[in-house]
Amino acid sequence: MDDTAPAVDSPSRPMPADAVDVALAQSGDQQAFERLYRAHVGRVFGLALRMAGPGAVEELTQDVFVRAWEKLGSFRGEAAFGTWLHRLAVNLLLSERTRRGRERKRLDEDDAALERQAGRRETPEVGMDLDVAIGRLPDGARQIFVLHDVEGYKHEEIGEMLGIAVGTSKAQLHRARMLLRGHLEPGLKGGH
Amino acid sequence: MNDRDVWTARLSEYVDGDLPADERVALERHLPECAECRDTIADLRRIQSLASTLGTREPQRDLWPGIQRRIGEAERAPGVLPFRRRLAFTVPQLAAAAVLMMIVGAGTATLALRERGTPAPGGAPVAVGSPTVQPAAFAGTTSYDAAIADLERVLADHGDDLDSATVRVLRQSLETIDRAILQARAALESDPSDPYLNAHLADTMRRKLNLMRRAATMVAAS
Repeated sequence: MDDTAPAVDSPSRPMPADAVDVALAQSGDQQAFERLYRAHVGRVFGLALRMAGPGAVEELTQDVFVRAWEKLGSFRGEAAFGTWLHRLAVNLLLSERTRRGRERKRLDEDDAALERQAGRRETPEVGMDLDVAIGRLPDGARQIFVLHDVEGYKHEEIGEMLGIAVGTSKAQLHRARMLLRGHLEPGLKGGH
Repeated sequence: MNDRDVWTARLSEYVDGDLPADERVALERHLPECAECRDTIADLRRIQSLASTLGTREPQRDLWPGIQRRIGEAERAPGVLPFRRRLAFTVPQLAAAAVLMMIVGAGTATLALRERGTPAPGGAPVAVGSPTVQPAAFAGTTSYDAAIADLERVLADHGDDLDSATVRVLRQSLETIDRAILQARAALESDPSDPYLNAHLADTMRRKLNLMRRAATMVAAS
């Protein structure tokens, strides 16, 4: 685990407040760690939801925080705690993706799954609607879309994390966007 | 393959600014004559924009109890020695903590006297600590600082009576908390009215005292 910052970092609480709780949590204070959990759970939960889908999102979110507690001793404050936690979450979610992918045997090629859902609007909120559409993307395309367009990682970083070529990352991102384009309602589209 | 087919797969790169300059120029020459590519670019930009606004999502139920349970199980697992347990006290360390607790008691008494306007022992005027931000939830900060400074002096004077390893462990523990206090104070300099930071600072200072109090209790029970 390193402290490399993603391109976009927007911890949900100011850094100094985190630093106090991190220092306390590192000395074993679970109440301080609970405050860190409450400050960051929304971002971790959102990431897990978009990266892994709704099926195991609660368990994965808990996994992230349990892992963070276990690894807290290695946090040296070289990056914001939110950045460190986010990177830890991405790493865990990607490793889970490999494991769960083998179990679930979900096919990346099943573009038709999204096509069938195109136009179905399940919530009145644009963000929620996009989340639903993201959840229906094939695994590979979805994770690259989330990492690049939602979380702000660069293709080079994604390539390193996933062990793929930069060109593959770009191709999957374009694929994801084009699939999502089919899901956008006409009113949400540009140029119409 | 027509021009549109050639460019379709490259439109995301164009939107992201990743297209090499010569290809970008060529695509921009193509766009005025291709409404479909223009529409696709507009949609890709819209998707990109929407994605960047996706915010946090809160779980529908509180996940903390499950996390807390799992943390507790991990800490109790046989053979597991999490980093936090390095701070656990041995008997001599607890003895040192008891000494510190007595010192804290003296400091707290001094603090109480000062807050009532009574001169400190010796009758000399009390030199308060640095005029840092006063956390609303812990109004005695400057007196607290002075008391801690007194304790530090006593510890420096009597530290030789204690096992050096014991003192070192205790100092490390206190330094961790002191670091947290300093960070909270620094944050409060820029936002003195932040209730969260005020509460944290007060809580952290209490924890410093509680650390010693717990150690003393354990000594008494052993």
